[in-house]
Amino acid sequence: MVPILSLASSYLNLTGTAATIVDTLVYAIAVSVLIIAFDYIFGWLERKTIAKIQRRHGPTYAGKYGLLQNMADFVKLLAKEHVAPKRADKLLFLSTIPTMLALTIFLVFLIPLAPTLIETNVGLGLLVVFVLLSFMPLIIFANGFGSGNKFAAISAQRSVVMLLSYEVPLIFVIAAVGALGGSYSLAGLVGAQNPWWFVVLMPIGFVVFFIAMLAEVERPPFDIREADNELIAGWLTDVSAPYYTLALFLDYSRMLLGSLLIAILFFGGWSGPLLPPFVWLLLKAFVISFFIMIIRATMVRMRIDRLLRFGWALLLPLSLINLILTYLVFIR
Amino acid sequence: MKIERNEITQKISAMKAQGYSYLIKITAVDYEKYIEIVYMLRNMEQNKDETLEVDVDPSDAWIPTVIDQFDAADWYERELFEMFGVQVKGRHVERLLLEKWDGKPAPLRKNFVWNGPYETGS
Amino acid sequence: MVTRINIGPVHPSTHGVLRLVADIDGDTVVNLEPHIGFLHRGVEKLVETRMYMQNPPYMEKLDYVAPMSYDEAYVATVEKAMGVEVKERAQWVRTILLELQRIASHLLWLGTMANDVGQFFTVFMWTFTDRDRILRLLEEASGARMFYVNMRIGGLIRDLPPGFDERAREVLSYIEKKMKKYEDFLEKDPLFTERMKGVGVLSRERAIALGVTGPVLRASGINYDVRKDNPYYVYDKLGFQTQVRSDGDCFARYKVRMLEMTESIRLVRAALDKIPEGDALGMPVKLILPSAKNRMVTLSRELPRGECLMYMVADSQRPYRLSIRSPTFINLAALKEMSRGCKTADIFAISGSLDLIMGDVDR
Repeated sequence: MVPILSLASSYLNLTGTAATIVDTLVYAIAVSVLIIAFDYIFGWLERKTIAKIQRRHGPTYAGKYGLLQNMADFVKLLAKEHVAPKRADKLLFLSTIPTMLALTIFLVFLIPLAPTLIETNVGLGLLVVFVLLSFMPLIIFANGFGSGNKFAAISAQRSVVMLLSYEVPLIFVIAAVGALGGSYSLAGLVGAQNPWWFVVLMPIGFVVFFIAMLAEVERPPFDIREADNELIAGWLTDVSAPYYTLALFLDYSRMLLGSLLIAILFFGGWSGPLLPPFVWLLLKAFVISFFIMIIRATMVRMRIDRLLRFGWALLLPLSLINLILTYLVFIR
Repeated sequence: MKIERNEITQKISAMKAQGYSYLIKITAVDYEKYIEIVYMLRNMEQNKDETLEVDVDPSDAWIPTVIDQFDAADWYERELFEMFGVQVKGRHVERLLLEKWDGKPAPLRKNFVWNGPYETGS
Repeated sequence: MVTRINIGPVHPSTHGVLRLVADIDGDTVVNLEPHIGFLHRGVEKLVETRMYMQNPPYMEKLDYVAPMSYDEAYVATVEKAMGVEVKERAQWVRTILLELQRIASHLLWLGTMANDVGQFFTVFMWTFTDRDRILRLLEEASGARMFYVNMRIGGLIRDLPPGFDERAREVLSYIEKKMKKYEDFLEKDPLFTERMKGVGVLSRERAIALGVTGPVLRASGINYDVRKDNPYYVYDKLGFQTQVRSDGDCFARYKVRMLEMTESIRLVRAALDKIPEGDALGMPVKLILPSAKNRMVTLSRELPRGECLMYMVADSQRPYRLSIRSPTFINLAALKEMSRGCKTADIFAISGSLDLIMGDVDR
């Protein structure tokens, strides 16, 4: 544990279980702040980068380089009235987005951010993360059906179809990663990537994982659920101001989660020279997120039936080949 | 080419058989004494246009449909009904295309009263 | 189970106020009914109450993406009714302006089309920026950026400004360079070609039966272009080539329009090379006392969206009746058939490939 995170417990002279609880709370708050900071910076950076790609300026008015624009949007959204549609199932409609955000923050919480920042080193962390991650489409499904809107309902159905298309290849890649690293704990996997990162050892697996991860965190070209020019906003069609703010945060938080997982599983996690490990991991996640952002500006959205074919006819065989190759080359 | 109302279907079919397979437009002109329905057809191969004109009585304005000959006639005939109050017999129309009222008085007829109840909305 | 969903009239992808009522079985479209009329302004009635040259502003608002084309089509109809010859130089200038307008219109279409298949505004922004260069050229020529009203009986409101030639060539080579980039950007993206190829197929026979026009007709393999088959102005002197594709799908329509843009660039260049000196000014609006010689006038023009046919019954001072055959009206009528059996996401690809302008559809 980093000393600074245990300041509170040492100040309160706590020992044993009480100290652990306080430390965990402090860590949770730190992770939440980190996520929010990342969301904010990325929200701004995405607007600026896509604007540059599109030969625009992006936000310039609020703050230096438009840095405060997202804050202004945030305040505006919070100031707006919250409307829940009459036909909506209130419980499903209102509880799902906060649940998803909480789940995402919890998943980041499970991820070791540095060798000294392993708050919860679950032995089967890799599996726990992906099991929880695959709940997301189901929660989206619940929200889509709960909102009582036909566009949202279509979005909900697409959500399940998407789950079917990329989850199986993803699991096969994870199996290969676990087998190669000889561990299912995320910290153990980072340790196993010395001296070679897994992206070098199994490039096919990386490609499959990256594509599946794009679909998992709903980034283009797989933003089929909230396809804004087909389904208006998909499952977010009826979501109004404060909840929509949460949904925006959720969007970037999931992107952070996705890039953290890619960085940890394939790019050696926190390993790197000179800089502290924590910074390395965030730097890697940042670069991956940036790449995902550029994909958003350039790719055309995939059609849902095509995604299903893509998942089963291309990603699944590739992930199987990857698993077999990994076994034959490295493990046997 | 002027034709009579009762020979529209037959004439149009004959024209189509001659290669005038492309319907450009069905429109109408209200001459107050009579309404002239204009069918514009095109022969794509020979690059020739042909116009068929039919005069109908404004008080008894109807024409037989040509939708069996030309699929393109669908929306034109519906437009004709809404804009000129010309009934199109022999086809089913479940809703109005452009307007939100019953097409009475027909707006493109010359006796349509401007600044009337339909314009002010009262 | 068949679900009925209501798309529009306020929807990101319907280009204005188009309402589509789609019956969807799973992800397949069973039936699609376009509901139009939200932008019905009764232009045909309105022009009956105005003098001849009071009408061009109304005609321009029909198609707000290519206003000059409609302006020209209307003024040419009036000229034909009055039996006025267009001055030699004015014919060339009009050809240049019309083709520039066509490029501008197609550039906007390209952006929105890419948007409709799920591009995140990138191509849209690019083409919008490029389109603005052409709009600036047109502004130089006419004095207005969007609604030009620069056609006058027998000519134009003013001649081309000095230096227009060089600036136009500069913009054209810029657009030409960018066009190649867009083609690369889109056609090398397998997802884009996949979304376009084999979607919304309209066979040759059905295209004729449904009466579609313009690029939609030519994409179905029918070599008909008013500029070639009934040439007006100086198109026959420029060696105009029609662009035809036989597939009849969205990609063919995309390709036809892209090739048309290239062809338009070539046409403008050729016209700039050959343009004669002389007078291009038309009659001042206030001085003419129109006395229509021809009672009945039919005139067709190839607008960016297809063939427009103006059927005018002329009166002494004002049109007695003006019937406009707008190209997108009949193209939209074909949407129902084209989208039957396609996937939900394809509705927007198909309606995007038709290049709909609701002002033009509803009139």
